[in-house]
Order: sequence, then C-alpha cells, then structure tokens
Amino acid sequence: MRAFVAFTKKEFTESVRSYRLFVLAVVFLLLGIMSPLVAKLMPDLISGTDLGGVTITLPEPTAMDSWAQFFGNVGQMGMLALVITFSGIMATELSRGTLVNLLTKGMKRHTVILSKFLTASLIWTVSYLLCMAVCFAYTEYYWPAATLHEPFLAFFAPWLFGMLMIVLLILGGILFGNLYGSLLTCLTTVIALSLINIASVAHKYNPISLASGTLNLLNGHMKAADFIPAAIICAVAVVILLVTAIAAFNKKQV
Amino acid sequence: MAILSVQRLSKSFGNNQVIDDISFDVPEGSVFGFIGANGAGKTTTMKMILGLLPPDAGEIFVCGEKVAFGATKTNRHIGYLPDVPQFYGYMRPAEYLRLCGEIVGLNAAECDQRSKELLQMVGLADVSKKISGFSRGMKQRLGMAQALLNEPRLLICDEPTSALDPLGRKEILDILKQITGKTTVIFSTHILSDVERICDRMAVLSGGKIALSGTLADLRAQHQTNAILIEFATAADQERFAAAAGNLMQNATTTDTELTLQVAEVASAQRELLHILSSKDILPLKFEVLEPTIEGLYLEVTQ
Repeated sequence: MRAFVAFTKKEFTESVRSYRLFVLAVVFLLLGIMSPLVAKLMPDLISGTDLGGVTITLPEPTAMDSWAQFFGNVGQMGMLALVITFSGIMATELSRGTLVNLLTKGMKRHTVILSKFLTASLIWTVSYLLCMAVCFAYTEYYWPAATLHEPFLAFFAPWLFGMLMIVLLILGGILFGNLYGSLLTCLTTVIALSLINIASVAHKYNPISLASGTLNLLNGHMKAADFIPAAIICAVAVVILLVTAIAAFNKKQV
Repeated sequence: MAILSVQRLSKSFGNNQVIDDISFDVPEGSVFGFIGANGAGKTTTMKMILGLLPPDAGEIFVCGEKVAFGATKTNRHIGYLPDVPQFYGYMRPAEYLRLCGEIVGLNAAECDQRSKELLQMVGLADVSKKISGFSRGMKQRLGMAQALLNEPRLLICDEPTSALDPLGRKEILDILKQITGKTTVIFSTHILSDVERICDRMAVLSGGKIALSGTLADLRAQHQTNAILIEFATAADQERFAAAAGNLMQNATTTDTELTLQVAEVASAQRELLHILSSKDILPLKFEVLEPTIEGLYLEVTQ
C-alpha cells in the first residue's frame, strides 16, 4: 500500500511536470467553452458567408445544438487529446527502462498498473467534468431551463469510453513496449468498433456508440435501454483488459 | 555462508545459448568481479538473479532463499545498479531517493537521513538540478545511491564503470571501496584493471560457461609462471649480460632492451642474476618478478 501511494504520487508529479495534466485540462476547458459558443454563433457564421445568392435559413439554435457540439467535440477531439496525452503512460516507462530500479526494490508489478490506471482515470474524470460543467454553465446561460432526458447515462457514456481508451493505452504499452504500440492498439480498436458499427443491429451493443452517440438520449430520441447493453459491455471490457494488462505485465521481461 | 548461490543455470534466447549450465557461489563479504566480453551473458545472469528474466534451467539462491521470476521477495536483500540506470528526468536527486525510500518502506525521517548520507557519499549533496541535466557519471553515482538506500546485504552492479571517463571511474571505484566490508558486492565488467583494484574474487564468463573462478590470490598462485623480467638501458648492456648469464638464458625471450627469463626456482635465480648484474657493473632500468596478471589469465581462458 505504501508503494502504491508513493508510486501514485510520482504519477501525479509526472503528470504535472510533463504538462500532461495542464494540456488535458486546457483542451477540455476550451471544448467546454467552444461547444455552446459555436452553437450560438452558427447561424451568424453561415449568414455571414456569401453563398452566391443562395439563402439558408437555420432554425434558432437551442440547448440541444450546444450539447450536440459538446458530444461531437468530446467524442472526437477530446478522445484524441486523451489518447495522445496518455499514450506514453506505460510505453515510455518500458522503453526507457525507468521501472527497473523500482521493481528491483520490491515494488509489486500490479502496483504499477493499478496506480497508472488510477492516475489517468482521475485526470480524465476531472478534465471531463470541467468540460461538462463549463458547457453546462454557458448552455444554461444562453438557453435557460432546457429539458435534458437521461442526463446521467448520456454524460456517463463518453466518460466510460474514455476509460476504455486509457486501459487500452496501458495494455498496448505493455504488449509492445513503445508509444506506437499504445497508439496503434487504440486506433485498431476504434477502427474495428467503427466497422462493426456499420451493421445497425450492433449499435446497441457497441461501446463506440457511447463515444458521441448519446445526444439522442439527451434529446429524448432514444431510450436508455438503447445504450445500457453497450455501457455494460464497455465496463466489462475495461475490467477484463485491466486484469489482462496486469497478467501480461507479470510475464513481461523488463 | 554463500550470500548468492547460482546452480546449474542455463538461458538461451532463441537458438542462442547465452548461459550454459553455470554454477558459482559468492561468499558474504567478498567483492566479486564478474568478467566477460560484451555479450558474454553478464547482464543476462544478473537479471536472472534479480528475477527480471526467467531462467530456462537451474536455480538461484539469495541469502538462502530461492529467486522466483517476477516475484521480488529476494530483492529486499539486493541493491541493483543497472549498466545504464534510468531515472525520471523531471525529478531532483533527493526527490528520487524519497520515492525509492517510500517504496522500500522507510519512514520519512529514516529516508531523509539515509538520502542525505548517500548523496554526501556519492558527491551529489549540493546538486539540486533536475536529473535530466545530469551527466552520465552523475547518473551512475545517483544509481549507486539508490541501490544502497535499503542497506542491502548484496550489491549488484552491472558494468558500473564501463562508460565513464577516468575520473568518473575512479569515483565509482572509490565508492565501492567504501562500502566493502559492510556489503557483499558483485560487479560485472570487462575492465580488468578495475577487478585488480577492488575485487578479491572473480569469475570469467566465456562461451556461456564459467571459464575460471576463485579468489584472486589463489588464481595468481595457480598460474604462477616463475618468470623474471630485466629491462636494460641499452641493447649493448643486454648483450653483455646475455653473454655472462650462460645457461640461465636457455628459456629466455628477448626484445631490444628487455629480457624475460623462465626459471626453475625464483629466489635462487634472482640471487644469481643480481650477482651477474653487479659483477658486470650493469645497472638495469627494471628488475621484476613477473606475477600472472588478470589480463594474462583472462586471455588464457578465453582464447
């Protein structure tokens, strides 16, 4: 337990001093500010563009347009930022050999994995909450008292998908021992899930639906039952992949 | 008692048999030089001792406890300095030692005390810059400090001096000298003069086998050659001497001004040779009874 606390402290120090925490917080803060702003300004932006006499009339933006931007941004740019900032969390330690000193001092190998998973999860959670809170505040300011259906599940879903990305980065880092391995593991998984998603029957079960599809839940077009199976599968996958990562690291020659 | 016992250890990577059925013991309190060419398997053996690599066959015991791959119970007795120790570049030396101290379970006061002493010993007490700005020699010294933090009974150093400049090497050897007596040291290297300076035992690893092992004194005695070297000021001196030496010259090899004589009995030959030198009034530059060198032993067993 002492080793876990010590290593977790080291992980946080590393996140602060390598600007990982700062970069992620700023990116998500900007996404939080941008989403309602873009929704608000979209009609002005479009009407300001000379389309050669064609006039496009857009309906007055609503809170849902702001949340549509939010889910779009978080699901794409946000996930990308998350994956890039944490890509080295495991891979760099292994490729540089910085764990050798600590492991030969008797630190348990699972301590490393659990501590890294905890740190990354906390930073991701805080960044995501920050983004959500800012977006919520602005949205409430521009379009007060909008009705949100199933807000818990709608906002929980992208967070859960982010957790899947984190555990994939750790597992990829262990399996391949370098940055590219981590990034490719995530990329391959996302591409595979996207391909599966071509079949509309898979939507309900596919974790990738959680990344940016839950706007339909928030605006009431879809029901919680349409997303719960995917959320359960995603959560189970996170646990299984975490256990696999620990088992793989126990066998890894460092 | 042997603090480390390696028994019938084998390891191969693919078709490459790196370690082939080796056994050796390291008694407590010794400074053990583990010698071998680059790629001989020194690091592989050390990693197996630390449980970082699984052996194909054989057993390793540290302080009587069996080493198991991945599980690190025996490592509480060991301090390890890797060949190129890697640190977190964003930390300062004292911070790094605190992290190590917390991992081995020292309390804050003990940890601060030990860190201070060790940083003093390795000459980094006044260095407060981040480790990313350290030279290789400084990293090696910090590596030594972290290895000694938990007061290990056995210190394993993997080529601690190989990549350092002469001053850096001297610093590391001086540190090792300071801790001998309290700590058993295993020290791999291919720099033979380092072995002569600090080790009392050695083993030579060659072709996956232990080609030679024992205490330096025993090995020297076993390989005693009974040779005497005389260096003359001029070639003319040498010729005059050779003419006078008669049948002592039977087993002699000469270069321009040097003469190496193989003799049956060193003491009597010395007397005779000195007598000839003085009677012919020849003043040699050097008169030396040749001891077998580690280099000579090493070349003998590896060729």
